[in-house]
Amino acid sequence: MNERIKNLKKYTTIDKLHRGLRRSAAEAGIAELPEDFRAAGMPFQERAGNMLSAFLDAEKPVFLPGEKIVFTRTIKDIPDYVTPSEWEEIKKAHFVHEKGEVFNISADYEGILQKGLEARRAEFERLAESSGGEKKIFAESVEKVLAALQRLIGRYADEAERLGLSEEAATLRAVRNDPPKTFRQALQLLRAVHFAIWASGSYHNTLGRIDQYLYPFYKSDIESGGLDGGGAFELLEEFFLACNRDSDLYVGMQQGDNGQSVVLGGRNLDGKSVYNELSEMALKASYELALIDPKINMRVDANTPLEIFEMGSRLTKIGLGFPQYSNDDIVIPSLVEKGYDPADACEYVVAACWEFIIPKCALDVPNIDAMSLADCVNECVADLETCEKFDDFYALVEREIRRRAAAMGERHKNIFMKPSPIMSAFSQGALESGRDISFGLKYNNYGVHGTGIATAVDSLAAIKKYCFDEKSVGKRELIDALKSDFEGNENLLKKLRQQAPKMGTDDDFADALAVRLLDSFAGAFKDMRNDRGGRYRVGTGSAMFYIAHGRGLGATADGRRKDEVLPANYSPSLFIKQKGPISVVKSFAKPHLKNVANGGPLTLEFDSSVFRNDESVRKLAMLVRTFIALGGHQLQLNTVDRDKLLDAKAHPEKYPHLIVRVWGWSGYFVELDECYQDHVIRRIEFAL
Amino acid sequence: MDGTIFSVEEFAVNDGPGIRTTVFLKGCPLRCRWCHNPEGMAFAPQILKKKNGAEETCGERVSPQELADRLLRNERIFRMNEGGVTFTGGEPLAQPQFLFETMALLKGRVHIALETSAHAPPEIFRRAAELADLILIDCKSCDPEIHKKFTGVGNARILENLKYLCGSGAEFVARVPLIPSVNDTRENMSKLSEILRGAKSLRRVELLRYNKIAGAKYYMLGKTYSPGFDANKTPEIWDEFTKNGIPFIVL
Repeated sequence: MNERIKNLKKYTTIDKLHRGLRRSAAEAGIAELPEDFRAAGMPFQERAGNMLSAFLDAEKPVFLPGEKIVFTRTIKDIPDYVTPSEWEEIKKAHFVHEKGEVFNISADYEGILQKGLEARRAEFERLAESSGGEKKIFAESVEKVLAALQRLIGRYADEAERLGLSEEAATLRAVRNDPPKTFRQALQLLRAVHFAIWASGSYHNTLGRIDQYLYPFYKSDIESGGLDGGGAFELLEEFFLACNRDSDLYVGMQQGDNGQSVVLGGRNLDGKSVYNELSEMALKASYELALIDPKINMRVDANTPLEIFEMGSRLTKIGLGFPQYSNDDIVIPSLVEKGYDPADACEYVVAACWEFIIPKCALDVPNIDAMSLADCVNECVADLETCEKFDDFYALVEREIRRRAAAMGERHKNIFMKPSPIMSAFSQGALESGRDISFGLKYNNYGVHGTGIATAVDSLAAIKKYCFDEKSVGKRELIDALKSDFEGNENLLKKLRQQAPKMGTDDDFADALAVRLLDSFAGAFKDMRNDRGGRYRVGTGSAMFYIAHGRGLGATADGRRKDEVLPANYSPSLFIKQKGPISVVKSFAKPHLKNVANGGPLTLEFDSSVFRNDESVRKLAMLVRTFIALGGHQLQLNTVDRDKLLDAKAHPEKYPHLIVRVWGWSGYFVELDECYQDHVIRRIEFAL
Repeated sequence: MDGTIFSVEEFAVNDGPGIRTTVFLKGCPLRCRWCHNPEGMAFAPQILKKKNGAEETCGERVSPQELADRLLRNERIFRMNEGGVTFTGGEPLAQPQFLFETMALLKGRVHIALETSAHAPPEIFRRAAELADLILIDCKSCDPEIHKKFTGVGNARILENLKYLCGSGAEFVARVPLIPSVNDTRENMSKLSEILRGAKSLRRVELLRYNKIAGAKYYMLGKTYSPGFDANKTPEIWDEFTKNGIPFIVL
C-alpha cells in the first residue's frame, strides 16, 4: 500500500472525515418528493425514475484528498417513493419480500463497461419514442436515470476542472458518454454505476466477477504500456477502499451486511480456469487493506492449484472472515440441473452472503424464505408413539417438510417489487421485453434456506438410535422430556447431548441421516414452480435465522435445550464434542450437495494461534482443498481470538476495527447486536 | 497388546508435515517443569475435574487394531495432503509394544511420525527409528545438570540416542521447546548444533515457543503449576544452526 492509499484509508475509514460532507434528504430538498408524486397520481414506474434522477441531481460532487476514483455519497437517506399508506395497501394484496426492492442480484457491469452510458441511454430513448402506454413510461424512466447519472458525472468533471484536477476531469469526461478505454476509466465508471445503484435504494449490490469484466481494460493498458502492474494494483486498491467509504449507509439486517461481494477465478464453459493476474491482485489488495468490503469469494474446483488456496488462506489468517470458497464442480452442474443454460451457469457469482446467482439476466430471489428443519423434526416428536419403526417417524418428518414447502409456494404468490429503472438499465432482458426488471428476467427462481440442519440431523440420529434401534429411551419419556425442557431428567439430557451420534464427527450413522434429510428437503421443492415460471432452489444457509429459529424452538432430541441458538449455516451443532476439522469436513461433504446448492457454507472456526507460520497457512489451504475434493459445495473459515472477542465485548472502545464473520458477511464486531456477538464467541472451535 | 491414549487430535499443524492426526499416548518417565500436557504424565486413566465441577475420565484403553482402524479412516486425506499420523505423549516409547504393533499396522499406508523425548533404552529407540518415517526428537537441554533439574532425568541416554539417529540415516527433526532462561541460551543451541552438524538425515531444527497457557490444565489434576522459571519472559532465539548448514524454523 503506498502513501496515497494509506492516507485515503485513514481519511475515510479511521477519521471518517468525508461523513462531515453529508446532508439529509430534507436538507437536499428531496424528502417531500414521494408525497408530491403520490398527490400527482404518478405511477410507481415514473416515480422510480423521478426519485433517482432527483437524488442524483441533488448530489454534490466532492473530491477527497488524493483520490483518483471518485464518487462519494453526500445525501444520507433515500426517500422511499412508495408512501407508508401505499405499502399497507400493497401488502394486503401482494407478497412482499424484505423491503420490496429489486435487490441481491448482480448487474450487467460487463455490458455497461463495453457499451458506455450514452449508447445505453439512447437505446431506451428510442424505445420510449417508438412505444406507448406502460412501455413508454418504463423506457422514459430508465432514460431519465441514465441521463441523470451522466449529468452527475459531468458535474464531477466540472468540479475536478475547477479544482485543477486535470487527470480526474479527463477520466470523468471520458466515461460520461463513452465506454471506458483504460483500466482507470473502467474503475471510475464502475464506481459511478455502483454508486447509482446504491442511490436507488437497491441493496446487497454484489459486484460479481471483477477479475473477468475488468480484465480486458487491464490487459490493454499493460500491453500498450499505459499502466504497469503496480499502477493497476494501486487503482484496484483504491476501488476496494471506495467500497468501504459509504458502507455505513448500506445497511442490511445488521451493520456490515451490505452484500458487496466479489467473485474471483472459476472456470469458463470449456472448463478452463480463468483465474488471472487481476484475481491475484484482488486477493492481495484485500489482504493489504484488511477492510470488510468488498467480501471476497473464490471459485475453485478439485483441480485448482494449492497455491491459489494458499493465497486465500493468507487472507483467512488475518481474520477477515473471507475468502469464501465455492466449488465449480458442484455449483455449475447444480445450476444446470435447475434449468440455467450452461453458458449462464458458468458465469455464476455470489449474492450478498453465499447464494449462487447468475449475473446480468436473472431476477432470482435466492433468499425468499427459510425453513427450520430442526423444527420440522421437533414438530413430529409429539407423534412418536404412533410410529412402529424409525421409517414411520421419518415419513412424518418428510410429510411435514412437504407441507411447509407447499405452504411457502402459496405464500410467495403474487409478489410485489418496486420498479427499478436503474437495475433495468444494467441488466439483459428489460429493454428487450419493454418491461421493468421487477416483473422478471430470463430466470426467476426462488431460493429457500434450510436452517438448523445439524440440529435436525442430530435429533433424528438420537431418536433412531435410542427410541428405535436400542430402545433404551421410551418414546413417551422423550416426548415428556422435551416438553419439560429436560426438567428433572438430567441423565437423558446428558445422554442425548453428549453421547448420541452427531453430524460433524465423521459418524456414518448420523451422516447417513444428513444425506437422507437433505434429499428430502430438496425433493419437497423439486417439482414446485413459482407464479413467475421459476423454480425453487434449496440451500444450506441460515442467514440470521440461526438466532430467530433457535429462540422459538423448544428442547430438541439432540439434547439442545429450549431457546438455545442453532448453528449458523451448514455447521455442526455448537455443543458437540468435536473430533476435529477433518471429521467435520468429511461429514459435511457426504450429502448430495448438488441438490441443495442454493448456497450456504460449511463454516469452520480456528483460533488465531493455529496460524502462526506460513506452514500452517499451507496446511489450511490443504484442508480447504480437501473439502472441495470430497465434493463440498461452499466453505468459509474464520480465524478468531477468543480472548480478544471477550475483551472487545467488555471494552468496545478499544476495538473499533475488529472484524468478524457473522452469517454470510464480515462486519465490525463492536457494531453487532449482542446476540450475534455471543454467537461468534461461542462457536470458536479448533485451537492448539 | 492394548495401550492407553489420552487424546487423538486432528489437523495438528505443528507435529510434522502435511495434514496429520496426532495420537497422545499416556504415561511419561519425565517430569518437565513446563509440561503443557500434565494429564499425559501418569500411565493409568485418571479423573479430571473441570472448573465447573464436571468430571471427565482422561485416558482410554485401546487395542492396536482399533486405533489403526480409526486412523486409517482418513488414509486418503493424509495421502492427498503430504500428511499422516504422529505419535506423541506422554512418552510414546514408554508403551513400546502397543506402539510398535500399531505402527506395524499403519506402515506403508500412512506416513508415520514419532515425537519422543528419546528417554528410552537404545534397542527400543532403534526399533522405533526403523518403523517411523520421521522422528521428531526433543532436545530439551544439552547440559546434564539443567536437564536433570528441569525434567527429572539426566540426558546421557537421550544424547546417545540422538547421536545414533544422526548416523542412522533415519529422517528426523530436532525440536527444542524454548524455555525462558532455561535452555534458550546461545551455549545450549551451540552445543546442539555441534551434535547435529553433518547429520545427513536431519530435516531441520524446530524451536517451539513456550506456551503460556501450559499451566491451565494442572488444576484439573488437583496439582499446582510451579514451573520454576519466569513463564512471562519471552524466550531468546539464537541461530547457531545456519552456520552449520542446518535449516531451522520457529513454530
